[in-house]
Amino acid sequence: MITSGIEEKTFVLNLGPQHPSTHGVLRVLLEMDGEYIVAAEPVIGYGHRAHEHMAENRNYHQFLPNMGRVDYLHALAFNQGYCMAVEKLLGITVPERAEYIRVITNELNRLTSHLLWFGAYLMDLGAFTPFLYCFDDREHILDLLDRITGSRLTYCFFRFGGVPADLDEDFIFGCRAFIKRLRSRWVDYHNLVTKNVIFIHRTKDVGVFTKEQCLLYGITGPNLRGSGIPYDIRKSEPYSAYPEFDFEIPIGENGDIYDRYIVRLREMEQSCRIIEQALDKLPNGPIMAEKVPKRIKPPVGEVYQAVETARGEFGIYIVSQGDVKPYRIKLRVPSFANLSLMVESFKDNLVADVVAILGSIDVVIPEIDR
Amino acid sequence: MLIDSIPKALAPLNLEKVAPGEYAQTGCHLEVAATPEQMPGVAQAMLKEGCFLESLTAVDTSKAAFTLVYHFANFHELCRTVVHASLPKEAEAPTISHVYPGADWYEREVYDLFGIKFAGHPNLKRLLLPEDADFHPLLKEFPAEAETKAEPEK
Amino acid sequence: MDMVTQTLGIEGFRMIAGLIGVIALVSVNALFLIWMERKVAAHMQLRPGPMEVGPHGALQTIADAVKLMGKELITPEEVDRPIYYLAPIVVFLPVLLTFLVIPFSQTMIIKDMNVGIVLILAFSTLTVLAILMAGWASNNKYSVFGAIRSVAQNIAYEIPLLVTVMSIILMVGSFRLTDIVAAQSRYWFILVQPLAFILFIICATAETNRTPFDLPEAESELVAGFHTEYSGMRFALFFLAEYTNMFIVSAVAAVLFLGGWRGPILPGVVWFLLKVYAVIFLIMWFRWTFPRVRFDQLVTFAWKILIPLSFVNLLLTALALKIF
Repeated sequence: MITSGIEEKTFVLNLGPQHPSTHGVLRVLLEMDGEYIVAAEPVIGYGHRAHEHMAENRNYHQFLPNMGRVDYLHALAFNQGYCMAVEKLLGITVPERAEYIRVITNELNRLTSHLLWFGAYLMDLGAFTPFLYCFDDREHILDLLDRITGSRLTYCFFRFGGVPADLDEDFIFGCRAFIKRLRSRWVDYHNLVTKNVIFIHRTKDVGVFTKEQCLLYGITGPNLRGSGIPYDIRKSEPYSAYPEFDFEIPIGENGDIYDRYIVRLREMEQSCRIIEQALDKLPNGPIMAEKVPKRIKPPVGEVYQAVETARGEFGIYIVSQGDVKPYRIKLRVPSFANLSLMVESFKDNLVADVVAILGSIDVVIPEIDR
Repeated sequence: MLIDSIPKALAPLNLEKVAPGEYAQTGCHLEVAATPEQMPGVAQAMLKEGCFLESLTAVDTSKAAFTLVYHFANFHELCRTVVHASLPKEAEAPTISHVYPGADWYEREVYDLFGIKFAGHPNLKRLLLPEDADFHPLLKEFPAEAETKAEPEK
Repeated sequence: MDMVTQTLGIEGFRMIAGLIGVIALVSVNALFLIWMERKVAAHMQLRPGPMEVGPHGALQTIADAVKLMGKELITPEEVDRPIYYLAPIVVFLPVLLTFLVIPFSQTMIIKDMNVGIVLILAFSTLTVLAILMAGWASNNKYSVFGAIRSVAQNIAYEIPLLVTVMSIILMVGSFRLTDIVAAQSRYWFILVQPLAFILFIICATAETNRTPFDLPEAESELVAGFHTEYSGMRFALFFLAEYTNMFIVSAVAAVLFLGGWRGPILPGVVWFLLKVYAVIFLIMWFRWTFPRVRFDQLVTFAWKILIPLSFVNLLLTALALKIF
């Protein structure tokens, strides 16, 4: 608990809720002794929009757009989790081409999320230029995804049983051209950032997450893989068309910020591999399952579906009582667990490290607040 | 194999039900039913098996009771366990945050949205809603929409 | 003209004319530098930068200045008023005064003092006082933080700066800036003192609070550091002081290492300005390339690496002078 610190030699500094580096509306009360943090208490809920309450008062179709707004940076993964959960309840099989399209758009979305993280994180550290480079790359992806999904950020592209729109030749061509271009950019990014002495000093051995902590807090995603545990739902609990592709799960060693950074960069390369393989093997066929009921009324039961988003495991738990509206939907978001561990790692660090650690976890506050 | 070792680990607790689940339909390999008082023991056993707490939530099942739902999974082997615990309304559930520190925030969220109190929780305050809110929105008796629509100021 | 000369004397007339010239130079310089910074930043970030206002955005700074002057001067309730009002002035005046001794060309120097370089170094330290005043008077934890960091940073980087300058002074034997320029008639000092040049540039970047040493104003960490509570014209004064400070340290670098106004064909003042702006471009280049150094690393770097290096350089210079 944070005390007022009048008697002691500590004082309380308020980080946020409006702050250039807390990605979203997050407030952290830092009790500090000079530049060192003694205790930290986060205050969240500024962006609570009652998504789970909305779920109980809308039917399954009406709730679909909400999923794009929970984590707007990797909206398609949330779309996918929800659609797969409902498809499980209804027993619908998605045709192969639709699964491939889902994977391609999902991985493109993952790229945009990681690129944005890269740019924004370096801006937090004071290097302003990579932000512009990343957004340049990101624009290409957003244009591609805009062509078929109709949105640039908060996608609502998947439907129960498939996808509503097909890929066209321009998209495929643009995708391949983009991947080629992105691969040529890695050299720049590595030279400018990864090998930069200032960057290395700020990120090595800072903000270490041990394997023990990851287990106790339920950390998933690149934060977990940076600590050396190779848990990626696309490989551990394969779904959709992922078993057909050959890709690796990059892991780190020490669990510091540098490892998490390297893991994310390597994941971007792996996403490029997946997209290329998917484009090569894209089967022909329908993009929508055949017998999808117009009124979605799943039988009584419950389901838990997990997918891998850019931040970690997104789990959706749906309880159905046989009605057109879900009885309860619980959204298990990765940033929730990640943020609760972060507070532990602030202790005995400098305040300049706070910003570095917070950025390295890649939290999106709206998904925590829902 | 976790799907065998977990039921073995849970056997001494004498839980109401430990059965394999229909993975293709529900996404869970093991389904367990317990009472809320047994939950700290279940959590200890799951932690010993190397599982992490995936999710902790509650469902307003009926006028008389809540159902606390815990999901556990494992980093190294695919085996998801779901634990249902029926909690009568107005009763308190014991916390598992001393076993899994990650449960701290989940339990605060459940308290915030449902009003369920967790005995032994170090910091049971509201998490998402403002501190001075006096309602619990995910209870079924909470209205779906505001009852009166505000009149625009003339 | 004669009446003016008779009342004030040549020296007085020269001082006043010089002061007016300096103020004009500072304003035009700031105008140009801000535009240059935005263009350099833009082109490094693969975008064009300001293009709308004037040809290639040349009048953008004037538009910004007019906007800043028109802004409301918000004074928060609980500030320490006298110090709060004084701080922007104290940050700006000493910098202005250092212009007195800079040799723009063989004849263009307002007052050729025999303690030229010492005057510049002394006055540039006064900016630390102003930052501390601004941070403390703002009655805001973030500002105090920025001010504390700035004081520690400036003190730490003063020492290698002074010692590096000393090694040049050793070679010349005089503090007078015109003497230093005159001593570079055969070759520029950068050729014999490359280490000193590197050290000087690093310390100069730190003294002017530029990235990678811009912790006192770190936007993403402390909102805006010591000038969080300043708005409108007061903020403009801090801004102006930073750019003018950059000009001063670049001018000192040009005089100490790059031969001042010396150069073939073109008039001295043109060479001088070219060299100054080249060094400024270098400092700007740093800003858009590197991330920020963490505070304890910054202080460690100064005390454990720069200071020993600068002393080594001084010793080597002394040895070389004795031998050759």
